[in-house]
Amino acid sequence: MLFSYSWLQQYTKDKLPTPERCAELLNMHAFEVETVEKKGKDTVLDIDVLPNRAHDCLSHVGMARELATISGKKLALPRAKDLQKQKGSLPQLSVQVQSSQLVPRYTALVIESVQIQPSPKWLKERLQALGVNSINNVVDLTNYIMLEIGQPLHAFDYDQIQKHKMLVRASGETEKVQTLDDQTLTLPKGTLVIEDGQGLIDLAGIKGGQRSSISAQTKNIVLQAANFEAATIYKTKKRLKYSTQAADIYAHGIDPNLTTEALGRALYLLAEWKIGGKLVQVIDLYPKKVVPATIRLHHAHLESVLGIAVPAKKVQSLLSQLGCQIREMPKQRFMVWEVKPPTRRMDLQISEDLIEEIGRLYGFAKIPSSPPLVALSSPQKNQEIAWRERVRDAFSSQGFCETYTYSLIGVNDLAAFRYSEQEKARLVALQNPTSADFAYMRDSLLENLVKNVMLNEKKFSQIRLFEIGKVFSKDSRQLKETLMLGAVLAGESFYSAKGVIDFLFENLGISGVWYDDYKPTPEKSRPVLWQNGKSAEIKVGSEEIGFVGEISSGIRLNLKISKPVVAIHIHMEKLVQLATEETEYLPVSKFPAIVRDIAVLVPPATKVAELMNTITATGQSLIRDIDLFDMYEGEKEAGGKKSLAFHLVYQSDNKTLENKEVDTLHNNIIKQIEKNPLWQVRN
Amino acid sequence: MDAKTLQKQALEAIEQAKSLAELETAYKAFLGKSGQLTGILRGLAALPDEERKTQGKEANELRDLLEQHFAAKKREIQEQGVLASDSAKIDVTAPGKRIAKGHLHPLTLIQRKTQEIFGSMGFEVVEGPEIETEWYNFDALNIPSGHPARDLWDTFWLKDSDKLLRTHTSPVQARYMEKHEPPFRIIAPGRIFRYEATDASHEINFYQLEGLMVGKEVSVANFKAVIEEFYRQFFERKVEIRLRPSYFPFTEPSFEIDMRWGKENWLEMMGAGMVHPNVFKAVGYIPDDWQGFAFGMGLDRLAMMKYRIPDIRLLYSGDLNFLKQF
Repeated sequence: MLFSYSWLQQYTKDKLPTPERCAELLNMHAFEVETVEKKGKDTVLDIDVLPNRAHDCLSHVGMARELATISGKKLALPRAKDLQKQKGSLPQLSVQVQSSQLVPRYTALVIESVQIQPSPKWLKERLQALGVNSINNVVDLTNYIMLEIGQPLHAFDYDQIQKHKMLVRASGETEKVQTLDDQTLTLPKGTLVIEDGQGLIDLAGIKGGQRSSISAQTKNIVLQAANFEAATIYKTKKRLKYSTQAADIYAHGIDPNLTTEALGRALYLLAEWKIGGKLVQVIDLYPKKVVPATIRLHHAHLESVLGIAVPAKKVQSLLSQLGCQIREMPKQRFMVWEVKPPTRRMDLQISEDLIEEIGRLYGFAKIPSSPPLVALSSPQKNQEIAWRERVRDAFSSQGFCETYTYSLIGVNDLAAFRYSEQEKARLVALQNPTSADFAYMRDSLLENLVKNVMLNEKKFSQIRLFEIGKVFSKDSRQLKETLMLGAVLAGESFYSAKGVIDFLFENLGISGVWYDDYKPTPEKSRPVLWQNGKSAEIKVGSEEIGFVGEISSGIRLNLKISKPVVAIHIHMEKLVQLATEETEYLPVSKFPAIVRDIAVLVPPATKVAELMNTITATGQSLIRDIDLFDMYEGEKEAGGKKSLAFHLVYQSDNKTLENKEVDTLHNNIIKQIEKNPLWQVRN
Repeated sequence: MDAKTLQKQALEAIEQAKSLAELETAYKAFLGKSGQLTGILRGLAALPDEERKTQGKEANELRDLLEQHFAAKKREIQEQGVLASDSAKIDVTAPGKRIAKGHLHPLTLIQRKTQEIFGSMGFEVVEGPEIETEWYNFDALNIPSGHPARDLWDTFWLKDSDKLLRTHTSPVQARYMEKHEPPFRIIAPGRIFRYEATDASHEINFYQLEGLMVGKEVSVANFKAVIEEFYRQFFERKVEIRLRPSYFPFTEPSFEIDMRWGKENWLEMMGAGMVHPNVFKAVGYIPDDWQGFAFGMGLDRLAMMKYRIPDIRLLYSGDLNFLKQF
């Protein structure tokens, strides 16, 4: 809120420190001061009043009180008049409040014969400096008092209130009100409104209605100082996306005891500013008077929380500066106070609230730093995070760059990556996206990773990227959040990706990885993402833990990516679970190994694994390792066949193998392979 | 030919050989199947005993000598050959063959560093979900529905659901306390979301690190010590911090932490405070039994300060020119 320095000055007996010094004091003890700006002879401070102090500090008197407390000055409160009514000639106004919960207090004055005129120059200037337009003397007076005391006022034209009656109530369905600024607002059900004998005349607490507004012809007025329930005003403000300074104040809640104070001040200013008028009726509906809270404050607790000794006398003097009544509780071993804060300090409810007041006024700067007294124990290691970091290191050691992409994808991505209607339905969508580009939660890391490839393709010939992050999906309203590991390799083959996965698994001590021809399992990955016949499920034992494959050329075309892109997508939780299973030591054989090579011509459709299975089945436990070292598929091979070459490592755990023994076994393997008429062992 | 002459000729031939092929020819000429020395050795059998003995000894010694010389020469030629071949000629100024280096994201580096520092002070690392309930994100943290304080967090809500994307890591406080009894020290790093227009210092998703320490006597003074130690280790120098009053519904008192940056400036580093008794109540503690501090710092901000990154959006851009610098 904007504050006029010279106006603040009116409410302290002694001179305030300079505006800059005031800003410094406020910064360290109360609120952040955004700007200090000279405006003519005055200085305007933009002070960011914290939400818990909006009750009492969104006004000049409130801020002056705060400044006086911090700088040790005496307050000079504005003058007011008693609400003494006189005999008048106007018919009585009848006011009814439907719910005292929604309207804890409704106070209003009926004032006869006022002189509506433009405001004097000084008033216009003061209001304008604080961002308020001048209308006429009466409306300006209501705004002036709101800025001064923090109680919003509203002036109605008495003669426009039909049948001399007003009802404050919650609105029903589809009611409309025409506000002062000539807008017709359709109100959500439950909005607080004021109705006269003819219809709605006020959007209570937010904006006055057009029909009952003050005009040049106005003679008699109703000056309202009401207290509306904060939550109701807040809700209306949000729903209508419409707000005013009064609504902001009400939305935070203010002290109901403020209404009479504000009206007394109004009465005083009506005379002072020569607007005239005679108070003929006082309306005050206040069934449940708000009294000060009682808080017990233990001196020891205060010192324990702040971690500093504060003398009892200092505590008492700080609290009384805030307007609290303090009583020392008798017969206590340690000092305990009973504190009654003024009702305007709605934020002071429990002893911690008082501790905060003491802390900030005494000065947080005075609090020393002292290390906590705790048991000397090292923290328990978070295994999940430790494994995650190992995965990161494994990828970065393979030349991958780590990227962090958005958790959100957009409408265009759904088209480019060919999401079906069914797949879209499984996405978690935002109710209030900032734009169509960030409307859905990602259900896989790959889309954004492939977009990263697109971004970098022109500048880098080889791209290896990875990311660890959460993905989201929805399954019959059940929301799922899963941590995934994603990686992309551009300009490399499927086998490079497989090599990376094998490296990763070796690094994590996971064995038994194998690759299954990808069969579309729609709940786990979107088949349309992968190039036909160039993808596989990554499995450990019978558990599927991820996918690897080439991104379909259709999607690449959509994104104008020229190089093939191979992608890896692995379920992190499953990976970590496998990694944490204990690794057991396998004794290394002390007998020498014998290596024999074998090359086989097979049809293109034959899988490497099929041959390896045949070899293992025949060689049994004497086959220690099979290593595919060459794979060639070309026209020059007879009938377009594929050539696979393996190193076979023969080794026994309990003896040195004889050459002859190995020869026999190797020949058996060759025979077994050649039992398949389509397979041919080359010499 | 006598042995002496043969030896001289052979040694000369070895000496003059310039390549393995020439050496091989010389070898054949003397020690090959029809070599001169081989001939002599073969002829020994036909000699009378006396002569055979002396000549035989001489010839065998010569053979051994020549074998040695041939072997030495062969090795000499091989060594020179390797040195003289083209592949051995190197250009030390030509670039080496690169092995691609991988890079970890700056936010990973910052998270590792913060976890290491807080770990050294006994803080455990815990995590929570990114999709949150209104209860954990707001109500349990003393931010009731219909309260203007909720406006402090611009929130993404989910469609067809009453859940939201967590606006801070503070829900992890409540989730952790529900399951654990004090005393404890935890940090909770993670991704959070804000409904915000993006610019150089604002993103719709970013990272926060929550801290929480609860015990019998944990104080503001303790908080100051812990956080000063954290910054000292993080920036590897002594830093000056100050506490300013602030407001967070889940802490009371609440403060903003500034760090001195240069002579004149103070930088806003994080929000913190003493856990509000209502939060203890919400997780089932007896508020009078415990007190503690909580804080939340922006990790992107730390990364930007540490690496002088001018724009937060670079962190999420996926631009390799950026990523390869870390």
